[in-house]
Amino acid sequence: MAELTRRGFVKSSAGAAAGVTFLGALAAAQADAAAGNRAEPVVAFVSDPARGEIALMVGDQEVVRRDPDLAARLTRAAHA
Amino acid sequence: MSSHREAPAISKDPVADNTDTYAFVSPDDPGTVTIIANYLPPEAPFGGPNFFEFGDDVRYEIHIDNDGDGAPEITYEFLFHTRVRNPNSFLYNTGTISSLADPHWNRRQFYSVTRIKNGRRQQLGVDLACPPCNIGPASTPNYEALASQAIHGIRHGHTVFAGQRLEGFYVDLGAVFDLADLRPFQSLHVASMANAPGVNATSEFGVHSIALKIPKTELTRHGSMPTNVSDRKSVIGVWAAASRRKAHVRNGHNASVHQTGPYVQVSRLGNPLVNEVVIPMGHKDYWNTQPAQKEKQFLRYYQHPELSKLLPVLYPGVFPNLAGLTAARADLVAILLTGLPAGVVPNFQNFTGKHLSDQLRLNMAVPPSGSPSPLGILGNDLAGFPNGRRVFDDVFTIELRAFAGATYALVNPSYHPDSAASAVTDGLSPSSTRYLSQFPYLGTPQDGYHTAPLAAV
Repeated sequence: MAELTRRGFVKSSAGAAAGVTFLGALAAAQADAAAGNRAEPVVAFVSDPARGEIALMVGDQEVVRRDPDLAARLTRAAHA
Repeated sequence: MSSHREAPAISKDPVADNTDTYAFVSPDDPGTVTIIANYLPPEAPFGGPNFFEFGDDVRYEIHIDNDGDGAPEITYEFLFHTRVRNPNSFLYNTGTISSLADPHWNRRQFYSVTRIKNGRRQQLGVDLACPPCNIGPASTPNYEALASQAIHGIRHGHTVFAGQRLEGFYVDLGAVFDLADLRPFQSLHVASMANAPGVNATSEFGVHSIALKIPKTELTRHGSMPTNVSDRKSVIGVWAAASRRKAHVRNGHNASVHQTGPYVQVSRLGNPLVNEVVIPMGHKDYWNTQPAQKEKQFLRYYQHPELSKLLPVLYPGVFPNLAGLTAARADLVAILLTGLPAGVVPNFQNFTGKHLSDQLRLNMAVPPSGSPSPLGILGNDLAGFPNGRRVFDDVFTIELRAFAGATYALVNPSYHPDSAASAVTDGLSPSSTRYLSQFPYLGTPQDGYHTAPLAAV
Protein backbone atom coordinates (compact mmCIF):
# COMPACT_ATOMS: atom_id res chain seq x y z
CA MET A 1 0.00 0.00 0.00
CA ALA A 2 1.31 3.41 -0.90
CA GLU A 3 2.53 5.39 2.08
CA LEU A 4 1.60 8.97 2.72
CA THR A 5 3.76 11.48 4.52
CA ARG A 6 2.41 14.36 6.53
CA ARG A 7 4.77 16.67 4.68
CA GLY A 8 3.19 15.43 1.49
CA PHE A 9 0.10 17.27 2.55
CA VAL A 10 1.96 20.54 2.88
CA LYS A 11 1.09 22.20 -0.37
CA SER A 12 0.72 25.64 -1.77
CA SER A 13 -2.28 27.40 -0.38
CA ALA A 14 -3.60 30.88 0.00
CA GLY A 15 -4.86 32.73 3.00
CA ALA A 16 -4.56 35.78 5.14
CA ALA A 17 -2.17 36.33 8.01
CA ALA A 18 -1.44 39.32 10.22
CA GLY A 19 -0.79 42.41 8.19
CA VAL A 20 -1.11 41.95 4.47
CA THR A 21 -0.04 38.52 3.25
CA PHE A 22 -0.05 37.20 -0.27
CA LEU A 23 0.87 33.67 -1.11
CA GLY A 24 1.96 32.77 -4.57
CA ALA A 25 0.70 36.07 -5.87
CA LEU A 26 4.13 37.43 -6.41
CA ALA A 27 6.28 36.48 -9.33
CA ALA A 28 9.10 34.20 -8.29
CA ALA A 29 11.46 36.74 -9.78
CA GLN A 30 10.75 39.01 -6.85
CA ALA A 31 12.41 36.50 -4.58
CA ASP A 32 15.63 36.08 -6.54
CA ALA A 33 17.73 36.74 -3.49
CA ALA A 34 15.94 34.00 -1.62
CA ALA A 35 17.67 31.52 -3.93
CA GLY A 36 14.75 29.13 -3.67
CA ASN A 37 13.09 26.94 -6.20
CA ARG A 38 11.22 29.30 -8.50
CA ALA A 39 8.22 26.99 -8.46
CA GLU A 40 7.94 27.31 -4.69
CA PRO A 41 5.22 29.49 -3.19
CA VAL A 42 6.33 32.84 -1.86
CA VAL A 43 4.88 34.52 1.19
CA ALA A 44 5.05 38.30 1.27
CA PHE A 45 4.48 40.07 4.58
CA VAL A 46 3.87 43.79 4.68
CA SER A 47 3.80 44.50 8.38
CA ASP A 48 3.74 48.27 8.06
CA PRO A 49 2.69 49.55 4.61
CA ALA A 50 3.81 53.07 5.46
CA ARG A 51 7.41 51.92 5.85
CA GLY A 52 7.40 50.31 2.42
CA GLU A 53 9.16 47.16 3.61
CA ILE A 54 8.18 43.74 2.39
CA ALA A 55 9.43 40.52 3.97
CA LEU A 56 9.59 37.76 1.36
CA MET A 57 9.73 34.19 2.57
CA VAL A 58 10.53 31.23 0.37
CA GLY A 59 11.91 27.86 1.48
CA ASP A 60 13.91 28.50 4.62
CA GLN A 61 14.90 31.99 3.56
CA GLU A 62 13.60 35.45 4.34
CA VAL A 63 14.66 38.60 2.54
CA VAL A 64 13.42 42.07 3.37
CA ARG A 65 12.99 44.46 0.45
CA ARG A 66 12.38 48.18 0.76
CA ASP A 67 10.04 48.97 -2.11
CA PRO A 68 7.42 51.59 -1.18
CA ASP A 69 5.74 51.36 -4.58
CA LEU A 70 5.31 47.57 -4.40
CA ALA A 71 4.17 47.80 -0.78
CA ALA A 72 1.60 50.39 -1.75
CA ARG A 73 0.33 48.31 -4.67
CA LEU A 74 0.02 45.20 -2.50
CA THR A 75 -1.84 47.17 0.13
CA ARG A 76 -4.23 48.62 -2.44
CA ALA A 77 -4.79 45.16 -3.90
CA ALA A 78 -5.53 43.75 -0.46
CA HIS A 79 -8.22 46.32 0.11
CA ALA A 80 -9.64 46.29 -3.40
CA MET B 1 8.15 18.69 33.36
CA SER B 2 10.11 21.40 35.14
CA SER B 3 9.18 23.82 32.40
CA HIS B 4 5.90 22.51 31.09
CA ARG B 5 3.22 25.01 30.15
CA GLU B 6 5.48 27.63 31.67
CA ALA B 7 4.58 30.46 29.29
CA PRO B 8 1.21 31.44 27.85
CA ALA B 9 2.06 30.96 24.17
CA ILE B 10 3.96 27.68 24.39
CA SER B 11 1.33 26.20 26.71
CA LYS B 12 -0.89 26.13 23.63
CA ASP B 13 1.76 24.42 21.49
CA PRO B 14 2.78 21.29 23.42
CA VAL B 15 4.73 19.50 20.67
CA ALA B 16 7.20 22.39 20.70
CA ASP B 17 7.22 22.84 24.47
CA ASN B 18 10.56 22.02 26.13
CA THR B 19 9.81 20.42 29.47
CA ASP B 20 13.18 19.30 30.82
CA THR B 21 16.81 19.22 29.79
CA TYR B 22 19.34 16.85 31.30
CA ALA B 23 23.11 16.63 30.84
CA PHE B 24 25.32 14.22 32.77
CA VAL B 25 28.30 11.94 32.42
CA SER B 26 26.82 8.58 31.45
CA PRO B 27 27.17 6.47 34.60
CA ASP B 28 27.69 3.21 32.68
CA ASP B 29 29.82 4.75 29.92
CA PRO B 30 31.85 7.51 31.58
CA GLY B 31 33.73 8.45 28.41
CA THR B 32 30.47 9.91 27.17
CA VAL B 33 27.92 12.52 28.13
CA THR B 34 24.19 11.94 27.79
CA ILE B 35 21.97 14.88 26.97
CA ILE B 36 18.20 14.49 27.07
CA ALA B 37 15.73 17.06 25.77
CA ASN B 38 12.11 16.43 26.71
CA TYR B 39 9.03 17.86 25.02
CA LEU B 40 5.27 17.44 24.95
CA PRO B 41 3.74 17.65 28.41
CA PRO B 42 1.89 15.95 29.99
CA GLU B 43 1.13 12.77 28.06
CA ALA B 44 -1.76 10.73 29.42
CA PRO B 45 -0.87 7.09 28.70
CA PHE B 46 -4.29 6.41 27.15
CA GLY B 47 -3.62 8.94 24.39
CA GLY B 48 -5.37 7.20 21.49
CA PRO B 49 -6.48 7.13 18.82
CA ASN B 50 -3.88 9.76 17.93
CA PHE B 51 -1.07 8.85 20.27
CA PHE B 52 1.58 11.41 21.05
CA GLU B 53 4.37 12.11 18.58
CA PHE B 54 6.93 14.75 17.72
CA GLY B 55 5.92 17.60 15.44
CA ASP B 56 6.84 17.15 11.79
CA ASP B 57 6.80 20.93 11.56
CA VAL B 58 9.08 21.60 14.53
CA ARG B 59 12.86 21.75 14.50
CA TYR B 60 14.16 20.34 17.78
CA GLU B 61 17.58 21.51 18.91
CA ILE B 62 20.25 20.73 21.48
CA HIS B 63 22.91 23.41 21.90
CA ILE B 64 26.37 23.18 23.45
CA ASP B 65 28.63 26.08 24.39
CA ASN B 66 32.22 24.94 24.93
CA ASP B 67 34.06 28.25 25.05
CA GLY B 68 32.04 30.28 27.53
CA ASP B 69 30.71 32.89 25.12
CA GLY B 70 27.11 31.91 25.80
CA ALA B 71 26.51 30.97 22.16
CA PRO B 72 26.50 27.43 20.78
CA GLU B 73 29.61 26.03 19.12
CA ILE B 74 27.76 22.75 18.57
CA THR B 75 24.09 22.33 17.70
CA TYR B 76 22.21 19.11 17.04
CA GLU B 77 19.05 19.47 14.95
CA PHE B 78 16.31 16.85 14.84
CA LEU B 79 13.65 16.85 12.10
CA PHE B 80 10.80 14.35 12.14
CA HIS B 81 8.50 12.97 9.46
CA THR B 82 5.44 10.77 9.84
CA ARG B 83 4.45 7.93 7.54
CA VAL B 84 0.95 6.49 7.41
CA ARG B 85 0.54 3.02 5.95
CA ASN B 86 -3.22 3.11 5.56
CA PRO B 87 -4.94 6.49 5.62
CA ASN B 88 -8.31 4.77 5.31
CA SER B 89 -8.07 3.33 8.83
CA PHE B 90 -8.66 5.39 11.96
CA LEU B 91 -6.38 3.10 13.93
CA TYR B 92 -2.84 3.74 15.16
CA ASN B 93 -2.27 0.00 14.94
CA THR B 94 -4.31 -2.87 13.56
CA GLY B 95 -2.63 -5.64 15.57
CA THR B 96 0.26 -6.35 17.88
CA ILE B 97 3.34 -4.26 17.13
CA SER B 98 6.23 -6.66 17.47
CA SER B 99 8.93 -4.65 15.72
CA LEU B 100 9.52 -1.15 14.44
CA ALA B 101 8.78 -2.41 10.91
CA ASP B 102 5.64 -4.28 11.92
CA PRO B 103 2.94 -3.93 9.21
CA HIS B 104 0.29 -3.66 11.94
CA TRP B 105 1.71 -0.30 12.97
CA ASN B 106 -0.12 2.27 10.91
CA ARG B 107 1.41 5.56 11.93
CA ARG B 108 5.18 5.62 12.28
CA GLN B 109 7.63 8.42 12.78
CA PHE B 110 11.22 8.83 11.62
CA TYR B 111 13.85 11.52 12.02
CA SER B 112 17.19 12.87 10.97
CA VAL B 113 20.03 14.17 13.14
CA THR B 114 22.23 16.98 11.86
CA ARG B 115 25.19 18.43 13.72
CA ILE B 116 26.40 21.98 13.17
CA LYS B 117 29.85 22.20 14.67
CA ASN B 118 31.82 25.41 14.38
CA GLY B 119 29.64 26.38 11.43
CA ARG B 120 29.94 23.08 9.53
CA ARG B 121 26.76 21.08 8.96
CA GLN B 122 26.93 17.31 8.91
CA GLN B 123 24.14 14.78 8.86
CA LEU B 124 24.82 12.14 11.51
CA GLY B 125 21.79 9.95 10.83
CA VAL B 126 18.74 9.80 8.56
CA ASP B 127 15.47 7.88 8.53
CA LEU B 128 15.93 6.78 12.14
CA ALA B 129 12.86 5.06 13.55
CA CYS B 130 11.00 6.17 16.67
CA PRO B 131 9.20 3.57 18.79
CA PRO B 132 5.42 3.61 19.10
CA CYS B 133 3.81 4.88 22.26
CA ASN B 134 3.15 2.29 24.95
CA ILE B 135 -0.45 1.36 24.20
CA GLY B 136 -1.14 -1.77 26.21
CA PRO B 137 -0.50 -5.52 26.44
CA ALA B 138 -2.49 -6.35 23.31
CA SER B 139 -0.75 -3.81 21.12
CA THR B 140 2.71 -3.34 22.60
CA PRO B 141 3.70 -6.33 24.75
CA ASN B 142 7.37 -6.39 25.76
CA TYR B 143 7.42 -2.65 25.28
CA GLU B 144 10.95 -2.00 26.54
CA ALA B 145 12.39 -4.55 24.14
CA LEU B 146 10.44 -2.88 21.33
CA ALA B 147 11.59 0.57 22.38
CA SER B 148 15.19 -0.59 22.61
CA GLN B 149 15.09 -1.26 18.85
CA ALA B 150 14.86 2.51 18.49
CA ILE B 151 18.31 3.07 20.04
CA HIS B 152 20.49 3.90 17.07
CA GLY B 153 24.25 4.20 16.70
CA ILE B 154 25.04 7.11 14.38
CA ARG B 155 28.18 8.81 13.11
CA HIS B 156 31.14 9.88 15.25
CA GLY B 157 30.27 7.52 18.09
CA HIS B 158 26.91 9.07 18.94
CA THR B 159 23.94 7.05 20.19
CA VAL B 160 20.43 8.41 19.83
CA PHE B 161 16.88 7.62 20.91
CA ALA B 162 13.75 9.65 20.23
CA GLY B 163 10.38 8.59 21.54
CA GLN B 164 8.05 8.24 24.50
CA ARG B 165 9.45 7.86 28.02
CA LEU B 166 8.10 7.94 31.53
CA GLU B 167 8.22 11.41 33.06
CA GLY B 168 11.33 11.65 35.23
CA PHE B 169 10.68 14.99 36.91
CA TYR B 170 8.73 14.59 40.12
CA VAL B 171 6.99 17.50 41.77
CA ASP B 172 3.88 18.28 43.82
CA LEU B 173 2.42 20.69 41.28
CA GLY B 174 -0.94 20.80 43.00
CA ALA B 175 0.67 22.19 46.13
CA VAL B 176 3.18 24.42 44.34
CA PHE B 177 0.55 26.31 42.41
CA ASP B 178 -1.90 26.48 45.31
CA LEU B 179 0.09 29.39 46.76
CA ALA B 180 3.09 27.14 47.46
CA ASP B 181 1.18 25.32 50.18
CA LEU B 182 3.85 22.63 50.25
CA ARG B 183 3.13 19.22 51.65
CA PRO B 184 4.34 18.30 54.28
CA PHE B 185 4.60 21.85 55.69
CA GLN B 186 0.99 23.02 55.40
CA SER B 187 0.77 23.69 59.14
CA LEU B 188 3.35 26.44 58.71
CA HIS B 189 1.62 28.00 55.69
CA VAL B 190 -0.49 31.12 55.99
CA ALA B 191 -3.51 28.96 55.03
CA SER B 192 -2.67 26.49 57.75
CA MET B 193 -3.82 22.89 57.28
CA ALA B 194 -2.80 19.53 58.68
CA ASN B 195 0.46 18.22 57.25
CA ALA B 196 0.23 15.50 54.63
CA PRO B 197 2.72 13.65 52.42
CA GLY B 198 3.72 15.11 49.05
CA VAL B 199 1.88 14.01 45.90
CA ASN B 200 3.76 13.50 42.64
CA ALA B 201 1.57 15.27 40.12
CA THR B 202 3.51 13.87 37.16
CA SER B 203 3.16 10.27 38.28
CA GLU B 204 2.71 7.84 35.36
CA PHE B 205 2.49 10.61 32.78
CA GLY B 206 4.65 10.32 29.70
CA VAL B 207 6.82 12.71 27.76
CA HIS B 208 8.66 12.64 24.43
CA SER B 209 12.43 12.48 24.80
CA ILE B 210 15.35 13.04 22.51
CA ALA B 211 18.32 11.35 24.16
CA LEU B 212 21.80 11.67 22.73
CA LYS B 213 24.92 9.98 24.07
CA ILE B 214 28.04 11.77 22.88
CA PRO B 215 31.75 10.99 23.32
CA LYS B 216 33.26 13.67 25.55
CA THR B 217 35.94 14.30 22.96
CA GLU B 218 33.24 15.39 20.52
CA LEU B 219 32.14 18.08 22.98
CA THR B 220 35.32 19.74 24.21
CA ARG B 221 36.73 22.78 22.49
CA HIS B 222 39.78 21.07 21.02
CA GLY B 223 38.68 17.45 21.09
CA SER B 224 40.53 16.64 24.29
CA MET B 225 39.38 14.22 26.99
CA PRO B 226 38.44 16.23 30.08
CA THR B 227 40.26 14.90 33.14
CA ASN B 228 41.05 18.00 35.19
CA VAL B 229 38.13 19.36 37.23
CA SER B 230 39.81 22.74 37.62
CA ASP B 231 40.31 23.17 33.86
CA ARG B 232 37.76 25.55 32.30
CA LYS B 233 37.87 23.44 29.13
CA SER B 234 36.28 20.58 31.07
CA VAL B 235 33.03 22.56 31.33
CA ILE B 236 30.29 22.71 28.72
CA GLY B 237 27.01 24.62 28.73
CA VAL B 238 23.92 22.79 27.47
CA TRP B 239 20.40 23.87 26.60
CA ALA B 240 17.63 22.71 24.30
CA ALA B 241 15.14 24.57 22.14
CA ALA B 242 12.40 24.20 19.56
CA SER B 243 11.77 26.32 16.48
CA ARG B 244 9.00 26.74 13.95
CA ARG B 245 8.86 28.26 10.48
CA LYS B 246 8.22 31.97 10.49
CA ALA B 247 5.21 31.91 8.15
CA HIS B 248 2.25 29.54 8.39
CA VAL B 249 -0.67 29.81 5.99
CA ARG B 250 -3.64 27.62 6.72
CA ASN B 251 -5.88 26.60 3.86
CA GLY B 252 -9.32 26.07 5.27
CA HIS B 253 -10.84 24.00 2.50
CA ASN B 254 -8.41 21.05 2.46
CA ALA B 255 -6.72 21.26 5.88
CA SER B 256 -3.31 21.86 4.34
CA VAL B 257 -0.79 24.22 5.91
CA HIS B 258 1.95 25.98 4.02
CA GLN B 259 5.00 26.75 6.14
CA THR B 260 7.93 28.74 4.90
CA GLY B 261 10.69 31.12 5.89
CA PRO B 262 13.47 30.67 8.42
CA TYR B 263 13.00 28.81 11.67
CA VAL B 264 12.34 31.01 14.70
CA GLN B 265 12.76 29.83 18.27
CA VAL B 266 9.52 29.30 20.19
CA SER B 267 10.82 27.45 23.26
CA ARG B 268 14.08 26.91 25.12
CA LEU B 269 15.25 25.34 28.33
CA GLY B 270 18.56 25.20 30.13
CA ASN B 271 18.21 25.22 33.90
CA PRO B 272 14.99 23.80 35.30
CA LEU B 273 12.23 26.12 36.49
CA VAL B 274 13.77 29.35 35.16
CA ASN B 275 10.96 30.44 32.87
CA GLU B 276 8.51 28.78 35.22
CA VAL B 277 9.29 30.72 38.41
CA VAL B 278 12.01 33.32 37.71
CA ILE B 279 10.73 35.12 34.62
CA PRO B 280 7.55 37.17 35.18
CA MET B 281 4.36 36.62 33.21
CA GLY B 282 4.81 39.63 30.97
CA HIS B 283 8.17 38.38 29.65
CA LYS B 284 7.69 34.61 29.47
CA ASP B 285 6.75 34.39 25.79
CA TYR B 286 9.52 36.83 24.86
CA TRP B 287 12.03 34.87 26.96
CA ASN B 288 11.28 31.76 24.94
CA THR B 289 12.24 33.55 21.72
CA GLN B 290 15.55 34.84 23.02
CA PRO B 291 18.93 33.17 22.54
CA ALA B 292 20.46 31.88 25.75
CA GLN B 293 23.40 34.26 25.42
CA LYS B 294 21.13 37.29 25.81
CA GLU B 295 20.10 36.45 29.36
CA LYS B 296 21.61 39.62 30.79
CA GLN B 297 18.40 41.48 29.94
CA PHE B 298 16.63 39.33 32.57
CA LEU B 299 19.33 39.65 35.24
CA ARG B 300 17.20 41.57 37.73
CA TYR B 301 14.76 38.67 38.01
CA TYR B 302 17.57 36.35 39.07
CA GLN B 303 19.01 38.92 41.45
CA HIS B 304 15.68 39.68 43.13
CA PRO B 305 13.45 36.65 42.52
CA GLU B 306 9.77 36.96 43.30
CA LEU B 307 9.70 33.51 44.90
CA SER B 308 12.23 34.55 47.54
CA LYS B 309 10.02 37.48 48.50
CA LEU B 310 6.91 35.31 48.65
CA LEU B 311 8.22 32.59 50.95
CA PRO B 312 8.41 34.78 54.10
CA VAL B 313 4.89 36.04 53.37
CA LEU B 314 3.39 32.61 52.77
CA TYR B 315 5.18 31.05 55.75
CA PRO B 316 4.95 33.70 58.49
CA GLY B 317 7.88 33.63 60.88
CA VAL B 318 9.58 30.72 59.13
CA PHE B 319 12.01 32.69 56.95
CA PRO B 320 13.00 35.81 58.96
CA ASN B 321 16.53 36.00 57.57
CA LEU B 322 15.29 35.58 54.02
CA ALA B 323 12.79 38.37 54.63
CA GLY B 324 15.67 40.66 55.51
CA LEU B 325 17.80 39.64 52.53
CA THR B 326 17.52 42.49 50.04
CA ALA B 327 20.93 42.23 48.35
CA ALA B 328 21.22 40.99 44.80
CA ARG B 329 21.34 37.19 44.80
CA ALA B 330 24.83 36.59 43.44
CA ASP B 331 24.48 32.95 44.44
CA LEU B 332 21.54 32.39 42.09
CA VAL B 333 23.29 34.28 39.30
CA ALA B 334 26.32 32.00 39.70
CA ILE B 335 24.32 28.79 39.88
CA LEU B 336 22.08 29.59 36.92
CA LEU B 337 23.93 32.05 34.68
CA THR B 338 27.72 31.71 34.98
CA GLY B 339 28.44 28.49 36.82
CA LEU B 340 30.24 28.25 40.15
CA PRO B 341 33.80 29.57 40.08
CA ALA B 342 36.61 27.70 41.81
CA GLY B 343 36.78 28.23 45.56
CA VAL B 344 33.04 28.30 46.24
CA VAL B 345 32.56 24.55 46.58
CA PRO B 346 35.70 22.57 47.49
CA ASN B 347 37.26 20.66 44.58
CA PHE B 348 34.68 21.88 42.12
CA GLN B 349 33.97 24.53 39.52
CA ASN B 350 31.70 24.75 36.52
CA PHE B 351 32.40 28.37 35.69
CA THR B 352 32.08 29.33 32.04
CA GLY B 353 33.07 32.97 32.42
CA LYS B 354 31.31 36.24 33.10
CA HIS B 355 28.96 36.04 30.13
CA LEU B 356 25.45 35.52 31.51
CA SER B 357 23.62 32.67 29.84
CA ASP B 358 20.96 30.23 31.01
CA GLN B 359 22.65 26.87 30.51
CA LEU B 360 23.10 23.62 32.34
CA ARG B 361 26.83 23.68 33.07
CA LEU B 362 28.50 20.31 33.22
CA ASN B 363 32.06 19.76 34.37
CA MET B 364 32.75 16.59 32.42
CA ALA B 365 35.87 15.78 34.46
CA VAL B 366 33.75 14.99 37.51
CA PRO B 367 33.20 11.23 37.41
CA PRO B 368 29.78 9.68 38.01
CA SER B 369 29.02 9.19 41.68
CA GLY B 370 29.05 5.69 43.15
CA SER B 371 26.46 6.75 45.72
CA PRO B 372 24.57 9.62 44.15
CA SER B 373 22.54 12.09 46.18
CA PRO B 374 19.37 13.43 44.55
CA LEU B 375 20.29 16.76 46.14
CA GLY B 376 23.40 16.95 43.97
CA ILE B 377 25.96 19.46 45.17
CA LEU B 378 23.70 20.44 48.11
CA GLY B 379 24.00 16.76 49.11
CA ASN B 380 27.81 16.81 48.66
CA ASP B 381 27.53 14.92 45.37
CA LEU B 382 29.56 16.87 42.81
CA ALA B 383 28.19 14.81 39.91
CA GLY B 384 24.67 16.19 40.33
CA PHE B 385 22.75 19.41 39.76
CA PRO B 386 23.84 22.14 39.34
CA ASN B 387 26.76 20.28 37.82
CA GLY B 388 24.66 19.38 34.81
CA ARG B 389 21.49 17.55 35.73
CA ARG B 390 20.81 13.82 36.12
CA VAL B 391 17.40 12.30 35.49
CA PHE B 392 16.77 11.64 39.19
CA ASP B 393 18.10 14.89 40.65
CA ASP B 394 15.56 16.56 42.93
CA VAL B 395 15.89 19.89 41.17
CA PHE B 396 12.69 21.27 42.66
CA THR B 397 13.96 20.88 46.22
CA ILE B 398 17.46 22.05 45.31
CA GLU B 399 16.20 25.23 43.67
CA LEU B 400 13.55 25.81 46.34
CA ARG B 401 16.23 25.71 49.01
CA ALA B 402 18.46 27.98 46.96
CA PHE B 403 15.67 30.52 46.53
CA ALA B 404 14.98 30.18 50.26
CA GLY B 405 18.51 31.41 50.92
CA ALA B 406 20.37 28.17 51.57
CA THR B 407 23.06 29.00 49.00
CA TYR B 408 23.47 32.72 49.68
CA ALA B 409 26.07 32.04 52.37
CA LEU B 410 28.32 30.69 49.60
CA VAL B 411 28.84 34.26 48.39
CA ASN B 412 28.29 36.06 51.71
CA PRO B 413 29.55 34.04 54.69
CA SER B 414 28.06 36.55 57.13
CA TYR B 415 24.55 35.52 56.07
CA HIS B 416 22.91 32.82 58.17
CA PRO B 417 20.27 30.90 56.23
CA ASP B 418 17.02 30.21 58.04
CA SER B 419 16.90 26.68 59.39
CA ALA B 420 13.89 26.06 57.18
CA ALA B 421 15.97 26.82 54.07
CA SER B 422 17.79 23.52 54.37
CA ALA B 423 14.63 21.57 55.22
CA VAL B 424 12.00 22.82 52.82
CA THR B 425 10.92 20.33 50.16
CA ASP B 426 7.82 19.18 48.33
CA GLY B 427 8.05 15.85 50.10
CA LEU B 428 9.07 13.72 47.11
CA SER B 429 12.10 11.66 46.12
CA PRO B 430 13.35 9.72 43.07
CA SER B 431 11.24 6.78 44.24
CA SER B 432 8.23 8.83 43.11
CA THR B 433 8.91 7.58 39.56
CA ARG B 434 11.08 5.00 37.75
CA TYR B 435 14.33 5.14 35.79
CA LEU B 436 16.59 2.88 33.77
CA SER B 437 20.21 2.24 34.70
CA GLN B 438 21.25 2.46 31.06
CA PHE B 439 20.60 4.66 28.04
CA PRO B 440 18.17 6.37 27.61
CA TYR B 441 17.92 6.37 31.43
CA LEU B 442 14.34 7.68 31.64
CA GLY B 443 11.91 4.91 32.56
CA THR B 444 9.57 2.80 30.49
CA PRO B 445 6.38 4.76 29.84
CA GLN B 446 3.20 3.59 31.51
CA ASP B 447 0.92 1.78 29.08
CA GLY B 448 -2.56 3.14 28.51
CA TYR B 449 -4.41 -0.10 29.30
CA HIS B 450 -3.19 -0.23 32.90
CA THR B 451 -3.52 3.44 33.67
CA ALA B 452 -5.17 4.16 36.99
CA PRO B 453 -7.74 6.93 37.02
CA LEU B 454 -6.44 10.17 38.47
CA ALA B 455 -8.73 9.87 41.49
CA ALA B 456 -6.93 6.67 42.47
CA VAL B 457 -3.55 8.37 42.77
